[in-house]
Amino acid sequence: MCDFSGGLIAWMDCELGANEAAAVERHVQGCAECRERVATYEDLSRGFAAYCDAVLETAAVTTIHRKLPRWVHVVTGAAAVAAVVLWLALLPRSVKPVPVVPRVAEARPPIAAETATKPLKPVQRRQVAAHRKTPTANWVLAEPAIQIAIPADAMFPPGAVPEGVNFIANLSLADGSVQGLHLQP
Amino acid sequence: MSGDSFPLNLPLARFTTDSCEATTLYRELRKPLLRYLAGLGLSTEEAQDVVQDAFLSLHKHVSAGGSQENIRSWLFRVAHNRARGCQKSYARRLGGPLDSVFDSISHEATPEQAMLTKEKFHRLDKAVRSLAAQERECLMLRAEGLRYREIGEVLGIPTSTVADTVERAIKKLAEKCNV
Repeated sequence: MCDFSGGLIAWMDCELGANEAAAVERHVQGCAECRERVATYEDLSRGFAAYCDAVLETAAVTTIHRKLPRWVHVVTGAAAVAAVVLWLALLPRSVKPVPVVPRVAEARPPIAAETATKPLKPVQRRQVAAHRKTPTANWVLAEPAIQIAIPADAMFPPGAVPEGVNFIANLSLADGSVQGLHLQP
Repeated sequence: MSGDSFPLNLPLARFTTDSCEATTLYRELRKPLLRYLAGLGLSTEEAQDVVQDAFLSLHKHVSAGGSQENIRSWLFRVAHNRARGCQKSYARRLGGPLDSVFDSISHEATPEQAMLTKEKFHRLDKAVRSLAAQERECLMLRAEGLRYREIGEVLGIPTSTVADTVERAIKKLAEKCNV
């Protein structure tokens, strides 16, 4: 085994003086073992250079994963869960139909106020009243009367009259006579 | 290895006024600096920040009439010292997923060759982990093409110490890698 090892790497790196380099070169030319060592060192140097490239690539990869610390992921997950829980807790309130009623009630006063400020239009009111006139209106007497509803089943056999239809009798307050009789579904 | 070293005969007197010269210098030294800083355990973003700071310092140095010799070792030294601030440990660097990266950069012809290369890389990785910090730094700077004198300037150690450290480190690697 050759014990000449000093200066081989420095000779490879051209770091020796002229005389030293010449001596090493002469030895290497005549020593197969040192030539093999030189080849091994050169191979290792190339491998180490590739290793440095891999480390740089690794730094780029780990930077991507390291952009957000681990605790950020934990906090983000907890915040997401809390948001879902809060949303679920608030969900029934948001769909409750109850608040709809006050909104209608609140919406009415301005309308009432608006109609109060505007002058009344009796013609329209009358027209509305005229439109509301039904055939039963002819049965209404000028004098006050009492209306008594008589179930149809009491007057006719079952099935003769459709369900829900009653007979309304208008009684005069003066003598109690029947002033009129009409159907009311 | 030093045969890969490239000369930097840039007219740095114009560095402060000629953006073209500064761009050329930046292009030539940016990646070696980034690779060295990544080897020290810095993330890509940290390394980029350090490189920019180093070039800013160089601009100020030249503007102030500082020495324009050995600009490469000057930049590496500034970057090395800046990296000390944010460098945490080699374990952080070496704890990274080197396997996946190596898989992606390995373009062997056959699966057998790829497997052999991967095993070789694993042995080298393990051997590098066993080196002392100064041995790793010397090897990394040597891999970037710096001469022993420049490595000594960067690390603040004599040139003879650099030679001894490099030789010792390579022999350790050879021994650990069984080659």
